[in-house]
Amino acid sequence: MHRFPLLFLAVFFFVFAFSVANAEPAVSKPAPLFSGAAADGGTVTLADLRGKTVILEWTNHECPFVKKHYESGNIQGLQKQAAAQGVVWLQVISSAPGKQGYVDGETARKANIERGATPANTVLDSTGAIGKLYGATNTPQFFIINPQGVLVYKGGIDSIASTDKADVARAENYISAALKDLASGKPIAKSSTKPYGCSVKYAG
Amino acid sequence: MFNARLFPLIVAFILSTSGLHAVAASSEAATGQVKAQLIASADAVHPGDEILIGVRQSIIPHWHTYWVNPGDSGLATRIEYDLPPGSAAGEIQWPTPSRISMGSVVNYGYQNEVTLLSTLNIPGDSVAGSAFPVKARVNWLVCKEECIPQQVELQLTLPVVGPGAAIGTGSPLIAQARAGLPVASPWSFRLEKIGDRLSLRISGKAAQWAGLKDIWFYPEQWGRIAHGADQISKVSGDVLELQLKPGDDPLASGGMLAGVLAVTENSGEGAATRGYRVDVVLEAAAVPPDHSAAQSDLPLSSALLLALAGGVILNLMPCVFPILSFKALSLLTHAQQSRAEVRLHGLAYTLGILLSFAILGGLLILLKAGGAQIGWGFQFQSPLFVLAVAYLMFAVGLSLSGVFSLGGAFTGVGSGLAQRSGYTGSFFTGVLATVVATPCTAPFMGAALGFALTQPPAILLAVFLGLGLGLALPYLLLCYWPSLQRCLPKPGVWMDRLKQFLAFPMYGAAVWLVWVLAQQAGVNAAAVALGGMIAIAFAAWLYEISKTHGTQVRYPCMGFVALALVAAVLGGYFGIQAPLSAITAKNANTQDKRWETYSTGRLQQLRAQGKPVFVNFTAAWCISCLVNEQVALSQTSVKNAFETFGITYLKGDWTNRDQEITGVLAEFGRGGVPLYLYYPAGTSAYPVVLPQILTPEIVIESIRVAASPGSAVSQ
Repeated sequence: MHRFPLLFLAVFFFVFAFSVANAEPAVSKPAPLFSGAAADGGTVTLADLRGKTVILEWTNHECPFVKKHYESGNIQGLQKQAAAQGVVWLQVISSAPGKQGYVDGETARKANIERGATPANTVLDSTGAIGKLYGATNTPQFFIINPQGVLVYKGGIDSIASTDKADVARAENYISAALKDLASGKPIAKSSTKPYGCSVKYAG
Repeated sequence: MFNARLFPLIVAFILSTSGLHAVAASSEAATGQVKAQLIASADAVHPGDEILIGVRQSIIPHWHTYWVNPGDSGLATRIEYDLPPGSAAGEIQWPTPSRISMGSVVNYGYQNEVTLLSTLNIPGDSVAGSAFPVKARVNWLVCKEECIPQQVELQLTLPVVGPGAAIGTGSPLIAQARAGLPVASPWSFRLEKIGDRLSLRISGKAAQWAGLKDIWFYPEQWGRIAHGADQISKVSGDVLELQLKPGDDPLASGGMLAGVLAVTENSGEGAATRGYRVDVVLEAAAVPPDHSAAQSDLPLSSALLLALAGGVILNLMPCVFPILSFKALSLLTHAQQSRAEVRLHGLAYTLGILLSFAILGGLLILLKAGGAQIGWGFQFQSPLFVLAVAYLMFAVGLSLSGVFSLGGAFTGVGSGLAQRSGYTGSFFTGVLATVVATPCTAPFMGAALGFALTQPPAILLAVFLGLGLGLALPYLLLCYWPSLQRCLPKPGVWMDRLKQFLAFPMYGAAVWLVWVLAQQAGVNAAAVALGGMIAIAFAAWLYEISKTHGTQVRYPCMGFVALALVAAVLGGYFGIQAPLSAITAKNANTQDKRWETYSTGRLQQLRAQGKPVFVNFTAAWCISCLVNEQVALSQTSVKNAFETFGITYLKGDWTNRDQEITGVLAEFGRGGVPLYLYYPAGTSAYPVVLPQILTPEIVIESIRVAASPGSAVSQ
């Protein structure tokens, strides 16, 4: 009589632990799949992008750290570099309604036009579901998924944590280095780095 | 004309006037969220001084700035000092941070206010009378939901004064800031990888963990642990285990985890948080388990088995053996009784033992809950208890000698009660066996007890009952298997002789206890105890001879009996005072003193010098300890070995309560004495735990093996 609930509990915990462990985004593990509303009115589904390298850029256009990298032209440059290599660049905005960085599709597209930014698309994650699936904590923060759907990079944009635009040129740019490694078919040398920036403005 | 010699005096005068003080000691700048102030620990400086400077941030409500590791996002505050040539500011001394969580993102930082201190050296060639300007460019990120990077420039000028001149007290905020800095930890840490978690084990005192409200480890480096993950804390005895989840830049084996342990306790004035520095190396998985871990991580089933075995072996210990033979003897007299009756006697005896062990266990649980540092045999640390047991032993001896017999009083009341009194007798024999068994920590029992003392109450009780069952087992088996009984000799006159003979071990036990008492409470206590014993003997004799007389004689006699007993008890109670601390020290003054009194400080001092040390934790009431000292530690061969290897012999006396020793025992997973440790030469050598039963060969071999190169590491 007593054994049954115990067994049930054990199985439950095992399954729970397993599913949680599986959801952790870890480098060289399959990247969690998601599907989200896009700024262009459509839907972005990661599974559909299988066969292509995908960069996820968590962003919040009002965050001073994001501003540093857009105002200096750093991110725009990386987006062009990625597009030239056939890499799909997706911005992800996890800001909840009413919080800093929250935008609708039109505002997001306008902001990108004004900044000269050219991501392949922008994913509007106002519930934070995708952000939490990836454990995104910072804006800016990056995840790179290879054509096989495996996470090959997670981390920050560069090595100098600051809001000073002058630091962009001095810093080691992790994304640019990762793109170079990918282009030459090498594994990414620095595949997990420290992100820095504002916290992602999740709901609650 | 300006007189340079007068200048320091003038400065001192100016500094003592409060109006200028504020201007001289700080400079301020403010943004919408943060007011920053540059402060110093002095109002003026001498050439060659080292002072503290700092930037104080006063932050408006709901906003925060960041610690050296900002956590999941954010940025640590940066200070660039611009100083005259030859001078330099040290690293920022970060106060203990707090967690600021925004949903699933957790940051480490400061709210309301924080002061970031650095040391500052003034060049020796600074000229008295000159000014020493301190400029600071301070960058910070201040966040609520949104974040704003800010930068201010602060300046402070400190007059340089000549040697001997007053330098003032500086800003009072400095002292306040220093109080908020993490301090050196009083605990030892161990870090292991267990499964997918890091296990940080903090060895403290169980009592400290009782008042704990919150405990959190802040890693100094990003990614060492997942910043926002729950830190599950688990207390088992003196060890608090904190389970940490590795982060995105996890530690490798042998890597150092540095950070601050913030401990919040409920104190008289509400909750108070203090930070303790942590630097702990992640142990390689292949390292052989440490002795204490091996013993405390004993599975429950093994602990119960060990307890059972320990209980059985207790029967052979010098303290219990007389009781057991006493009991076996009574079995012979019961031999004519029916099997059912014999079994009932066995059960009554077992019940007596189990109940006593349960009470003992319950008492331990209560005392532990009350925060007392105690261990096995703890009750023998009370002189009054020792006296009571000495009286009891003596009375049992008198009874065995035939001076008096209790049974006679009940004969007239009817056979039913007599029968019952027989079972009561068996029951109390069990109680007695438990009482006298406690000072003997048998082999196997040490580990089981050490385990039990670090466990929750239910498990502690289970181990105790296992121990009791083991103690009762031989007699119980004898009662249940008549075939075993047939091995016992036939009753006869020899039984009476044996009974009388067994009185002598009881007298022996009483003598030993009086000796223990003298150790604990001084020579006068021995006189009190012996006087009490005479009163008891007198009472017993009077009781016995008056039994056969009529009430006219018997009642007055009983009055005298009662009087004598009361005199013995009250005399004991009031005659024995235990000036506890003074006595242990007195023990040190014996003639052949090859040893020093143990203290943690002395041990650490010797270890720091890399000298080999032998530590003996003992107590006057611990028979195995005394036997070991006689047969092993006092032997010439052992003495020679100690001399040859230059070993310092430290002796820790646990006869009376001693927190320090109880702590060490717990560290090695023990709840009682004896404990023998050998620290081989070298500052990093692991201590060797010797068995609880020593021979000269065991001691010498342990020393020799540990001293040979390469072997210390494998310990």
